[in-house]
Amino acid sequence: MTSIKNRYRLGIDAGGTFTDFVVADRQTGETKLFKALSTPTDPTRAIQNGLKLIHEAIGVSPTELVSNSDLCINGTTVGLNALITHRGGKTGLIATAGHEDSIEIRNGHKEDGYRYDPEYPAATMLVPRYLRKGVRERVLSDGSVRTPMHEEDVRAACELFLKEGIETVAISFVWSVLNPAHERRAAEIVREMMPDAIITVGSELYPQVREYTRTSTAVVNAYLAPVMRRYVKAVDAYFRELGAAQPVRYFQSNGGLAIGQVLTDRSVYAINSGPASAPQAGLYVSAPFGKKSVITVDMGGTSFDITLTKDGQTNLNKNIDFLRYRIGVPMIQVETLGAGGGSIGWIDPLGIIQMGPQSAGSEPGPACYGQGGTEPTTSDANLVLGYLSPDGLLGGKLPLDIEKARAAVRKVADPLGISVERAAYGMYTIVNNNMVNGIRRVSVERGYDPRDFVLVGAGGATAAHITALAREIGIDTIILPKLASGLCAFGQIISDVKYNYMATAPVRLDNDAAYKRVDDLYKQLEKEGRAHLVSDGFTDETIEIRRSLEMRYVGQVHECTVDIDTFDIDATSIERVKEAFHRRHKELYTYAEPHNPVEVVNIESTLYGRIEKPKLPEKPKAGAAGGAIKDHRDAIFDASGIATRTPVYDGDRIGTGEPIKGPAIIEEVTTTIVIEPGWTAVLDPTNSYLITRDR
Amino acid sequence: MKEVHKPKVDPITLSVVRGVLETTQREMTLSLEKTARSSVFNLAHDYSTALFNGRPEMILQGQDIPIHLGSLIPAMKAVAKFFEGDIHEGDLILHNDPAFGGSHAIDTCMYKPVFYKGELVYWTVCKGHLTDIGGPVPAGYNPNAKEIYAECLRIPPVKIWDKGVPRNDVLNFIYTNMRARRDQEGDFNALIGACQVGERNLIALLDKYGKETVDACIDELLDMAEKHMRDMMRTVPDGTYEGSAILEDAGHGFGDFEIKATVTITGDNCHIAISSPPQIPYFINSYEGNSHSGVYLGLMMFAALPPPYNEGLYRCVSIDFGPKGTICNAQEPAPHMNCTTTPMETLTDAVRLAFEKAMPSKVAASWGHANGLNIAGWDKRTNEEYVTMVLATIISGGGATPEQDGWHAVGPECCFGALTSGDVELLEYSYPIIIHRYSLMADSGGAGKFRGGSGTAWEVEPLDGDMLCIGFGEGRRIPAMGAAGAYSTDIDTKVGRVELNRGGETEVRRTNIMETIKPGETVTNMNPGGGGYGNPHERPIEKVLWDVKNGLVSIEGARRDYGVVITDPETLTVDQAATQALRSAA
Repeated sequence: MTSIKNRYRLGIDAGGTFTDFVVADRQTGETKLFKALSTPTDPTRAIQNGLKLIHEAIGVSPTELVSNSDLCINGTTVGLNALITHRGGKTGLIATAGHEDSIEIRNGHKEDGYRYDPEYPAATMLVPRYLRKGVRERVLSDGSVRTPMHEEDVRAACELFLKEGIETVAISFVWSVLNPAHERRAAEIVREMMPDAIITVGSELYPQVREYTRTSTAVVNAYLAPVMRRYVKAVDAYFRELGAAQPVRYFQSNGGLAIGQVLTDRSVYAINSGPASAPQAGLYVSAPFGKKSVITVDMGGTSFDITLTKDGQTNLNKNIDFLRYRIGVPMIQVETLGAGGGSIGWIDPLGIIQMGPQSAGSEPGPACYGQGGTEPTTSDANLVLGYLSPDGLLGGKLPLDIEKARAAVRKVADPLGISVERAAYGMYTIVNNNMVNGIRRVSVERGYDPRDFVLVGAGGATAAHITALAREIGIDTIILPKLASGLCAFGQIISDVKYNYMATAPVRLDNDAAYKRVDDLYKQLEKEGRAHLVSDGFTDETIEIRRSLEMRYVGQVHECTVDIDTFDIDATSIERVKEAFHRRHKELYTYAEPHNPVEVVNIESTLYGRIEKPKLPEKPKAGAAGGAIKDHRDAIFDASGIATRTPVYDGDRIGTGEPIKGPAIIEEVTTTIVIEPGWTAVLDPTNSYLITRDR
Repeated sequence: MKEVHKPKVDPITLSVVRGVLETTQREMTLSLEKTARSSVFNLAHDYSTALFNGRPEMILQGQDIPIHLGSLIPAMKAVAKFFEGDIHEGDLILHNDPAFGGSHAIDTCMYKPVFYKGELVYWTVCKGHLTDIGGPVPAGYNPNAKEIYAECLRIPPVKIWDKGVPRNDVLNFIYTNMRARRDQEGDFNALIGACQVGERNLIALLDKYGKETVDACIDELLDMAEKHMRDMMRTVPDGTYEGSAILEDAGHGFGDFEIKATVTITGDNCHIAISSPPQIPYFINSYEGNSHSGVYLGLMMFAALPPPYNEGLYRCVSIDFGPKGTICNAQEPAPHMNCTTTPMETLTDAVRLAFEKAMPSKVAASWGHANGLNIAGWDKRTNEEYVTMVLATIISGGGATPEQDGWHAVGPECCFGALTSGDVELLEYSYPIIIHRYSLMADSGGAGKFRGGSGTAWEVEPLDGDMLCIGFGEGRRIPAMGAAGAYSTDIDTKVGRVELNRGGETEVRRTNIMETIKPGETVTNMNPGGGGYGNPHERPIEKVLWDVKNGLVSIEGARRDYGVVITDPETLTVDQAATQALRSAA
């Protein structure tokens, strides 16, 4: 199961507009990308359409493909849409009496700081107050029981839930993380009284200190569980019918794969899984160039997603507000901005040009699509600047209307009294600048210098901005795969199975008992994790473990996450842990306090079941750069708005190893690459362009 | 096409500079939050960061705590003036003194002059609520202080770094006068780190665009904010409007006081005159710096302008705080520690009410005022003294607006949603306490067509030793004021109070307590709800029923406050005729 026995690997990435299909063929070594329109109401229909496209293109029928494939898919749209539209399951919460309101008190603040805006509404409660029932019980901060659980309270809650038609129940008690006995007993009672309900237990889902985060995570999980269960069931059944020999693997927001059962038990791991495969893909296409520190940027129609991987380790988020709900479990840090090809340019009340977050979406789309849109968008600016072909996108399947684009951009130009060209370049600059500030949030705010990274472009719209972004942020090396537009689907088929195991261990690191406690906990977690992966079919050789701790100086309240190697923790080796912490603190906050005591709060082991990856192509392809020039057009590369005569290359005809000097435009079928003056692109045999700053 | 302001600088560069300034301030804030020791600071976000230019004018106010930032404007000017001619690269200035432009002394400010090519160009500034600031009572709030000298260590502007060299003698002098030295050192490091993060980013910005361009952009941003506020003022009819609000006697025995604001609008200018009674020997006097914040907050609740916020907003606003020696314009030796909440929220209300008279349709209701606890004692687990303000205890209800119900549990008014309460487990881990309850409260939101948000109840018991509880604030008799005809009939449930439970006896207190409680006893601090908006009898019945179902309005409250008569508490059946009669009677 852990090595590729099947001929194909099929990755499916359901996005907002398109569902991408990537097929890797082990025999030919080829990887191909297909796109079908997404069908949010019934995701299996998009899969059906995609399989049909593949059949037409390469002559492999759905049954033949599926029965010979490793299947990887994400369920992001389903979980995400349920949370956005508040259409999860009808959920009940069982909490410690006196603390039923923590998910509504929300730590007592507005999650994005103070605002005077009188129309900014409070977040919609996933569980209204009358369905949040308190149980008399109490565990204290040392794990001892202060008040034994009143089982009759749990039973009373179940009776109400049965009457109200509750299908999913979250159970979360204060300090259950140090003593889960009450939660477990409550779960037994719920299981007995409500045999059909899905049950989420806080200390099992997210065993980390912070009651509000744990309860909120459990509630989101419970809320999504019925939806995810239906989805997984439908997808599994669909593929089984087509002869799938193995269970489908689903992509999780932690950046790894899992089988469907895991995703129905831990639905909260599904919600932002779409962009979470980008880092794996980024690392993979960068590996041939010896690069392990990668920032991936993915620009689609409405949004721009950024991830960061340093020395092979991807930034994670824990304990964040996602779509206004606090979620604890680790998710790949995806910084999402409302900056896409459809982002609308406007002038704010202060007279400043802004781009987005409003988007023209796919309906009506940018003005240049000629589908009735009149607002000036990023794509309109790119067309005016000469970056996009007036002949249209997707090999002419999507024609573009330059006059409509100019008319739209005029809406920004006229009030400011500048030319359409200058306004277009302004819009382009501002959208780039928004993206650069987003890149700072994943890099500088996490203590990383973006100049130490390569920039990997993903998504259809990114390539027109990629050299400008690199220039602004100070990055010298760009890797842009020909497959950029489907890179996330590709990321799924090269990803590993990944499970997070967590425990809480609030101890000061100044005594042997503390070291032993941390050591024991790690060993316990890893024992459980290994057993889980073995049951998924992995062997010791294919299982890998990574550890991290959340640490702080005594007296601090926020922790910083420190990665450590796997070793026995004792009085000697603890110094390695402490040193790693001081170093990380200094990276992040400009100073360390090595003389002050240090404590651990939470620990985590990440277990990977390694999967053999498909190989990247290695064959060089002949063809002089000049021979690939198919056209010239005027393109604008600076704020003056003055155009430069720029060669346009046909991506299909470019040979490997041939330098293409900027200014240049390379047209691929699913993306258009803009090479600014001062940059040079070379196609690598692995089918990626290496774009570097001229020295 | 709508006429828009045409900037004098390149609009694209302007957008970029604005983005960098915001990112800079954000990174300063993040650095503070993640590194600070004081729980008031890091759990509760009771800190602020700002950027100033060389003049010094505030060029960006972070969206941290609103009550901090107006006060940074006079404070920065006072500090720059004090060291005029003696400011050097590598200096770092510390300051907290209210009689010298500060707000309240426990909010301690760090100022770093930023030099570029040898010239003073900007200042990065941050301010945070420390754990303790010396004085006889832990955590700084001393209701028995008759003078400021009995409250805290006052720090007038003092250099703690001199041309890059730390003045360890001065730092040691300051730490020696405070409790919890290790935490204080950590918090000072956090403030310094944040100033350095800001400096690093501003210099990178100057390297890229040059000082002339960046300054031109900043001036433009200030001018734009000014224009924005002036445009808003022009929509307010010319005239003179008065607002007045009552500051309750919180137990000091000097009685209730009236604070008045007189707002005069002339074209696009606004003059605000404040009148308040003579200062008293109790810790609710506000010095001028702090009072700026209270007035600006009342103004901004009305103006509701979107960010960014800078000093340009206030160019068309002049303020007269009245004679020195008054509650809103205090002078030495007035004690002051409670001033950021009390009397500030009452001052804010007075200003807001004056604007309500000018434009009733635009005004939102008041938020619950702060009415909270500080706790102190000995932690046997670590053998250390503990002391903290419990921010969870001041989380009140938000005010309703012309568009919607107030948010639950998001106040107090002076923080406007920026404060956080901290997690119950983190609090129990940090202090030897058991938090029995942290919940919303039935009938606490002000009645109205749009209901005020619910306040919160916080019930605590010490784990294994005596605990001193020190109360502060007000809002325990007069509920948060509604707007546009809102009123509540059931008042007792909407105001703040403290319940002491000892030996099975419950005692309700509506004053600033100073009480020691033991294990087995509890204190419950209840915070007021927000004010409602509009006539409560116009609130749709189904909305009232939904609140009843969720325990936010009681059956009795539905009748008394909303005129909705429920005959069956199980099915929530409404007596339509009786409801009709009650609702049309008023």
